[in-house]
Amino acid sequence: MSINKGNSTPDYTLQALDGRRSFMMDLGSSLGSIALASMMTPSGRANSGEDSQTTKGPHFKVKAKQCIFLMMEGGPSHIDTFDPKPALEKLHLREFVRDGEQKSAMESGKRYYVQSPFKFRKVGQCGADMAETWEHLAEVADEICFYRGCKVDSVNHPTAMYQMNCGNRFGGDPAIGAWVHYGLGAITENLPSFVVLPEVSFPQGGAANWSNGFLPAEYQGTPLRAKGMPLLDLFPPNGTTDEQQRSNLELLRKLNQDHERRHAWHQELSARTASYELAYRMQMQIPSILDLQSETEGTREMYGIDRDATDSFGRKCLLARKLVEKGVRFVQLYHGTWDSHDYIERAHRNLVRNVDKPIAGLIKDLKRLGLLESTLIVWCGEFGRTPDNGVRGGTAYGRDHNPNAMTIWMAGGGVQAGKTIGATDELGMAAVEKVAHVRDFHVTLLKLLGLDDNRLTFYHAGRHKQLSQFGGEPIDDLIA
Amino acid sequence: MTPIRQQYIAYTYLCCIAIAPPLKTTLADDEYFVRRIKPILMEKCEGCHGTTPSELKGGLDLRTREATLRGGESGEPAMVANHPEQSPLYLAVTRKHAVWAPMPPKQSEQLSVHQVESIRQWIAEGAAWPDPDQIKQIEVRNAQKWSVEDGVSLASSSGQSADWNRRKYKKDDLWAYAPIQKPISKQQKENPIDEWIEARLPVGLHLAPEAARVNLLRRATFDLIGLPPTHEEIESFLKDPNSTPLAFAKVVDRLLESPHYGEKMAQHWLDVVRYADTAGFSNDFDRGNAWRYRDYVIRSFNNDKSYFDFIREQIAGDEIDASDPEKLIATGFLRMGPWELTGMEVAKVARQRFLDDVTNSVGETFLAHSLQCARCHDHKFDPISTADYYSIQAVFATTQLCDREAPFLPFENLDGFEEKKYLDLRKKDYVQLLRDLDNKLLTSAQTWFEEHQLSSKDWNEAVEQARRQEENNSKRESGTIFSSARSILMKKGVAEDQFPPKLYGFTTNDFGLERIGRKGLERLKWEMERYQPFALSVYTGPTPELKSVVAPMRIPNPLLNRDKIEETFVLIGGDPFTRGPKVEPRPMSVLSLPEQPKIPETAQGRRSVFANWVTDPSNPLTPRVMVNRLWLWHFGIPIAGNPNNFGSTGMRPTHPELLDWLAVTLIEQKGSIKSLHRILMNSETYRRSSTHPEPDRLKKLDPFGTSYGVFRPRRLTGEEIRDATLSVTGELNRKIGGIPNRPEINASVAMQPRQVMGTFAAAWVPNALPEDRNRRSIYGLKIRGLPDPFYELFNAPSADFSCERRMDSIGSPQALTLWNGKATENRALALANRVLKNGKKDREAIEDCFQLALGRKPTLSESDLCIQHWQKSELLDEAKTPKSESPWTSIVREAVEENTGERFEFRERLYAADDFIPDLRPSDVEPRVRGLAAVCLVLLNCNEFVYVY
Repeated sequence: MSINKGNSTPDYTLQALDGRRSFMMDLGSSLGSIALASMMTPSGRANSGEDSQTTKGPHFKVKAKQCIFLMMEGGPSHIDTFDPKPALEKLHLREFVRDGEQKSAMESGKRYYVQSPFKFRKVGQCGADMAETWEHLAEVADEICFYRGCKVDSVNHPTAMYQMNCGNRFGGDPAIGAWVHYGLGAITENLPSFVVLPEVSFPQGGAANWSNGFLPAEYQGTPLRAKGMPLLDLFPPNGTTDEQQRSNLELLRKLNQDHERRHAWHQELSARTASYELAYRMQMQIPSILDLQSETEGTREMYGIDRDATDSFGRKCLLARKLVEKGVRFVQLYHGTWDSHDYIERAHRNLVRNVDKPIAGLIKDLKRLGLLESTLIVWCGEFGRTPDNGVRGGTAYGRDHNPNAMTIWMAGGGVQAGKTIGATDELGMAAVEKVAHVRDFHVTLLKLLGLDDNRLTFYHAGRHKQLSQFGGEPIDDLIA
Repeated sequence: MTPIRQQYIAYTYLCCIAIAPPLKTTLADDEYFVRRIKPILMEKCEGCHGTTPSELKGGLDLRTREATLRGGESGEPAMVANHPEQSPLYLAVTRKHAVWAPMPPKQSEQLSVHQVESIRQWIAEGAAWPDPDQIKQIEVRNAQKWSVEDGVSLASSSGQSADWNRRKYKKDDLWAYAPIQKPISKQQKENPIDEWIEARLPVGLHLAPEAARVNLLRRATFDLIGLPPTHEEIESFLKDPNSTPLAFAKVVDRLLESPHYGEKMAQHWLDVVRYADTAGFSNDFDRGNAWRYRDYVIRSFNNDKSYFDFIREQIAGDEIDASDPEKLIATGFLRMGPWELTGMEVAKVARQRFLDDVTNSVGETFLAHSLQCARCHDHKFDPISTADYYSIQAVFATTQLCDREAPFLPFENLDGFEEKKYLDLRKKDYVQLLRDLDNKLLTSAQTWFEEHQLSSKDWNEAVEQARRQEENNSKRESGTIFSSARSILMKKGVAEDQFPPKLYGFTTNDFGLERIGRKGLERLKWEMERYQPFALSVYTGPTPELKSVVAPMRIPNPLLNRDKIEETFVLIGGDPFTRGPKVEPRPMSVLSLPEQPKIPETAQGRRSVFANWVTDPSNPLTPRVMVNRLWLWHFGIPIAGNPNNFGSTGMRPTHPELLDWLAVTLIEQKGSIKSLHRILMNSETYRRSSTHPEPDRLKKLDPFGTSYGVFRPRRLTGEEIRDATLSVTGELNRKIGGIPNRPEINASVAMQPRQVMGTFAAAWVPNALPEDRNRRSIYGLKIRGLPDPFYELFNAPSADFSCERRMDSIGSPQALTLWNGKATENRALALANRVLKNGKKDREAIEDCFQLALGRKPTLSESDLCIQHWQKSELLDEAKTPKSESPWTSIVREAVEENTGERFEFRERLYAADDFIPDLRPSDVEPRVRGLAAVCLVLLNCNEFVYVY
């Protein structure tokens, strides 16, 4: 986002946004020690819940300790990425009518089968299917486990996103990253354990996609904004010098001291005073954590940084690696929108180009650093897309939302690398082999991180709640 | 973990102990097995280890002693008699063993501490296991005795299984359904509240003394109006020669008469009903008229409307009197949940979402029952069957959503409607944008004909025809000539390859802009509704057939399919496409009032009869639920721990007599909430100090903090912090009610691009004038997809779920926002300016700052510190020249275009920003004022400011 000023006098309403635009990715110095996680610890919470995961740590021994979740919001088409459907070639532009009680307005009217505009080839030793658009990912195909059996419940973006991210279609529940942090605890006290790198524009459904839900507030995902201040109000208003800030803090401390003496029994007071000191340290030190400039040219190249198509997502992937290195438990990256109702050829070609090199770079880099074993990488959208299309705005064809078929892939710690599990039908309309509900996928994801969904629960509003909502079965074929 | 949370865990645990069945003490071994062990095995184990012999998990069968001793695939016996520590069966249920995985696998189904101990004891004592015949004999012999011990059976036939219908409930679990009986007061206390509190005071615990008047006043003022007391109010209360109880009673009366009382109570209520000004989900469309419901709630509290009328109006206002706009506005309650119907969704699913939402909402709000637990299955713990759930839902089966004409009422605040001009400007932009794009298409069309060497004669005629149509029809959307021309030719049967395809010649940017324009107009329709005399409401009738809802809904005229009333069926597994038996509308079966009303099966009148049932004086839930909330609003914790859940999984009341006494009183006072405030606040319990003379003893004797021997301090809510700050700087606009305002929120968030279906939501543009921005927080536009981060950080609930009670956490992000945020900076400056404008100097000025912000004079040392800081800040300030600021009048947004996956950008004009008048800016004042502002910033951040004692 760039900002255009009116013709009025210069101002600084949004100067922080602009003045620090390069700040997030480009400031440099060493990592200091701050205790963000402990800062987030609530005190004196009037809690209606019960912490049933008081001892943190995995339920069983696994390789993966951290997770990078690549969320391709909008719903990538499995048919045009990893799940070729040659049968559509014969049916291309053949008309048909969808019917039945469960038909939405989207699906009504004339519909046409649409073949994929992309050629497919087999890649890697494992011979995985990939559209030709994946030039770089093909090089690491043997690290990947593709899964074609997942089904979700919703055809609308935010509800499907909520379900993929939080297990519950209507939002308000904790996101996967919150559960994982809650279950495994923090590796570092210096950074939030669940970090989100959203697109400049937030996805449909907004921040509820990385909510702590009913878990205590410290489990909420911390978005590092792609532009502007990475964290809200991280810096004081312009012109406030460091000396002024320190002097302000000193007065605050003294006034609070007197007050605390008068209310010695009130334990929250010292916690609140401490939160100010820690906030100040965070303000001093977070910028260096976000520095990407110190990486070598070769590394930056590997992620496609400084190239038009890949710069934005490349930076996110590199930052994700850095955050994982620094001990962040769960990093979720957003890219989108993959909602290609029309012109899928153009749209998906561009979208794949945006992420192909960065993701391949991430996998290679993690492997190089010996971190791939201990990091689980997940790639998915909120649903797949239909093999057919109605005529919408465009003249070239795209695909509509499809909750019954999609491709999810995983790489890294503990996954059945080099395998393709499950299958969709001949046209890609629905999953037909190794079919599992998204809740089973969630159970699998937790299992890969050493967590048992049935034990990772939180007592809230009269029920032991869990990510999968009502329990599920792990998809063991995905696990090595 | 924090002390307070530990208290709750411990408390829950204690409850379990209290209601658990007795350990084996009196039963013979065989009997003990039948009585205690067999039921555990059946309920918790046999599902996987017995019921289906062909699918035994791990090959283990736990139906007989022999099979259990044989064990499963592990080859080890599952049980070694007399040796629980060697028995996998026992080790697994402890869930703590390294080898034997926890059983049952789901934590939610784990055995209670008590059950685990029973298993241990049973094995330790030889693991008696009679044969099936003996088991039967024992059961028959003891049937009657055990039945009585097991609890209460509720005659019910509505459950899906006979087992469920026969289920026993512990009497204690049914406390909320018991008729309310007024506990007999011994009249030892003037205010019976104190009697009930002291009756349960831990032995040996002394009561804290009466609070200092200054604290008491601050407490009551924040509690009732959400603002700090003024200097004059403090002075007058401190000087009142009457006894504190007498003087304080006057204060309470005064505050209850304040128009701000309704605002404070409404905030509590809106938390429960999930108020927002938008509809959530994909589109997050504006609910232009939601504000009228918010003001209805404020009015209702201010007018001390009977709580029972308040309920009736919200559930059935339109049926009670459709000619009274106020009653239509009240039914906004039924619309509070997030809802939309997009073209992507199956209409029936969306309809069912509304029905589920409203059913649960009515249950939680008025009856403290989360009914949704019974949506897919008979309630696991409470006597609510799935049939009950759908029968209550049937009450709403003829309720249809609409934005209903409701003329503005003389007491509604209609100020500020002129802001619509900014929307008109935006509309004009969109229209122009679409026209330009249309012209572009029309030009490309000519190129197309040239390229295809086809005649454009038919096309040109069609274009002319389309132009005439657009000119003649003012309602027709503009910029559609190209597409109309295409439709005209298609209707004529011209082949599609004879004229240009849709959106021919568009670039990536054009595609993006077209969507911005088209969807932008759609969104404006909802926003413009704000200034129209319509109410977010409902009507009664058949369910309309909808495909998608992209504009405010009106009552169809005439009602289509008038006779086709939506029928209600039990939905198996909650799936709208899997029908079970048909159900009729009726209230909860567990509450059989003396005169259970018959809800009509006709379309009309279902909700009003249901509302009468909810508010029937013999309905024990309704008044208990409300007085419990009121108690929470004053004392920080509720009497019954889960104000939205009075079922068996909710916490039991700590002071049941008190709860019932208050409930009866609410009925006796004819639903007057203000009477209840008077009773609560004029108690010794409320007037108690928050400092206990013996803190250690208090901790020991009252570890859960439920004795009320001391008053519980609280942190201000985010809304209160903002309102209090504006109040002490003198900037607060105290106008009541009206259309929502847009204060300045964090700039990053205000400008944050936000995806909504097919486009981007408009930026948050603050109101142009300070007085419009600086209204009370309750009036801030509440957008589901864009919560104000300030309130969010301070634990304001999201509008997705009903909030029974706010959490209260501390974290550094709160510090960052109060310390670095522009809002506090502005307020600090305004406070400094206010004080210095009064001509005060140095020490006097500091005194004023303290008086305004903290309601007291500074100590000498505080005063010294502040003066030093002021001087130092002034010196530090001299090096800098503050810049003046003006807002951004447009922003350029970059986005990924959906059709092409390529970046495109568009400029969003922020019209209200053209007229923006900033709050006082650093550049407007002398360094001296800025120096004092540094002191004020600290005062507005200090603990004393944000806590109420």
